[in-house]
Amino acid sequence: MSALIIFALLVILMLTGMPISISLGLTVLTFLFTMTDVPIDTVALKLFTGIEKFEIMAIPFFILAGNFLTHGGVAKRMINFATSMVGHWHGGLGLAGVIACALFAAVSGSSPATVVAIGSVILPAMVAQGFPKQFGAGVITTSGALGILIPPSIVMVMYAVATSGMQATGPDGQPVDSASVGELFMAGVIPGLMLAGFLAFTTWYRARKFNYPRLAKADFAKRWLAFREAMWGLLLIVVVIGGIYTGIFTPTEAAAMSAVYAFIVAVFVYKDMGLKDVPRVLLASANMSAMLLYIITNAVLFSFLMTSEGIPQALGEWMVGAGLSWWMFLILVNILLLAAGNFMEPSSIVLIMAPILFPVAVRLGIDPVHFGIMIVVNMEVGMCHPPVGLNLYVASGITKMGITELTVAVWPWLLTMLIFLMLVTYVPALSLFLPGLLGM
Amino acid sequence: MLRLLDRAEEVLIGSLIALATIIIFVSVTHRYALGFTADAVGYFKSIGWVGVSAAAKSTYFALKTINLVWAQELTIIMFVWMAKFGAAYGVRTGIHVGIDVLINRLDAPRRRFFILFGLLAGALFTGTIAALGTRFVWHMYHGSAISPDLELPMWLVYLAIPLGSSLMCFRFLQVAWAFFRTGELPHHDHGHVDGLDDEPAGAMGEAILQSDLTPRDLAEDPKDK
Repeated sequence: MSALIIFALLVILMLTGMPISISLGLTVLTFLFTMTDVPIDTVALKLFTGIEKFEIMAIPFFILAGNFLTHGGVAKRMINFATSMVGHWHGGLGLAGVIACALFAAVSGSSPATVVAIGSVILPAMVAQGFPKQFGAGVITTSGALGILIPPSIVMVMYAVATSGMQATGPDGQPVDSASVGELFMAGVIPGLMLAGFLAFTTWYRARKFNYPRLAKADFAKRWLAFREAMWGLLLIVVVIGGIYTGIFTPTEAAAMSAVYAFIVAVFVYKDMGLKDVPRVLLASANMSAMLLYIITNAVLFSFLMTSEGIPQALGEWMVGAGLSWWMFLILVNILLLAAGNFMEPSSIVLIMAPILFPVAVRLGIDPVHFGIMIVVNMEVGMCHPPVGLNLYVASGITKMGITELTVAVWPWLLTMLIFLMLVTYVPALSLFLPGLLGM
Repeated sequence: MLRLLDRAEEVLIGSLIALATIIIFVSVTHRYALGFTADAVGYFKSIGWVGVSAAAKSTYFALKTINLVWAQELTIIMFVWMAKFGAAYGVRTGIHVGIDVLINRLDAPRRRFFILFGLLAGALFTGTIAALGTRFVWHMYHGSAISPDLELPMWLVYLAIPLGSSLMCFRFLQVAWAFFRTGELPHHDHGHVDGLDDEPAGAMGEAILQSDLTPRDLAEDPKDK
């Protein structure tokens, strides 16, 4: 009964349009003061200690690194490199855009940031080359979503944080550990590359069908030059992924290192950004991070309340009792998350939904890492369709196209993504192969 | 006076994120520099370069005297402060995301009601937290808890909560009052994405402000154009 009241209150508060963090907080406070015997001091402590985890600090660091990379000329050189490699195929610059997004996604943890970085350089170039505006916008809006699937990824950190330390038991009654940031990052590599391949194929196919312009084939010298130019950015991929995999850095340390590295490359190596721009980048990053950390604080409180009321566990028992099998559950989760993607952005969805769904998933025998990757792919879809798909709004800012027009433009790639979502949902090996191989 | 507060807030959160990054960078570099010089001592000794080996040895001991175990704790404290004051700054820039799909489709008078309701709810929540936080810090002040590595008094660490929440409450009231009078919410120039100029929220922030994750004020065009 109290569970229903909590949810109803949360939903009503959220629908009035107040910030998600405030709705979460007010729900918890109302519940505390009226309905529960959880001592208020325990909760007060939780409120103050909610973000005191070193893992969470990866989020501001990755945001900072991403902002330095976006404005620091790394994207431009990655695009030149990708263009020199695949520009002569069908789809030319469009195909290069997909590859460049995948490369940039490997240094950036956010999808809209990837769309900004790659899109603001490549979209004008594509229009100048004679591509229809819609084609370019469709390619970049959707490929930018790779930002949260290819590690590093802010949404994966959110998932790890939201589920860490949860008491979950598998179908055999054994306790199951939640997924770590490192595991999730490694698990994202293969699906990320695959989705990049899928999107590239769609781009290639449509470009061939409509006979869009191709570029002259670049010779080896040109490719080598482009590679050398882009090397500073590409090296960061090695630092982040390699550093985490070999255990040289924890994910948070890797994030801090990449922020410093990105700063040095942007200001001193490529010199696309001056020292005078640094304070603004710092402030913009702090602003975005603080907003996300504020949601985390309140979401941690909310999920603590849920857990102490035994709601996820009860939901799990109920679903098992109802004879729900794992594949039926996954369909339900996908529908639920796709629906939520119409109202909220990924961080809020993951922070609210993951703690509730995670124990149920584990109870039904779904691997925590696989479940996390599936959620991330689902979030990618939500970023590319209205009314709240942030990638669309970024693309709209760059191309000056309306949201409705963009929505029509992205559908071939969005469809590709939905097919890929089904694949990731029902082929756990895609997510679990690499972490398994690395013995994680 | 208010402008001074605005500026102080910006400088505080910008410096905190910069310092925290530098601290982690230095501590990781330090950790590996230690390991590296230790290896160098052995390596140069084995190939008979005694002088270089001795130099590496003294570097190692010099590095070892610098104790950086407190770095992680300090970073966390800095980020807690950054988060609390940054959240207040976020109210001023209008960055806090919500579900505004529905209210953005209402006519102006009703939308005005819901926006004011949301802002005042924000003020209520942050005000309550500020009060609870003050009580909490007050109790801590009379205890003797100190942080494990830095040995800072805990009440000082947690002072961020009453201070940050009070500031946030003030910002909600400030924005609500401005909206009540003018019908405008904090927002930026439209269609301004790749430049860095006057963009407190960055390109992603710009997208958030354009989308249905934030309410649109009474003067703005419909978002779904």
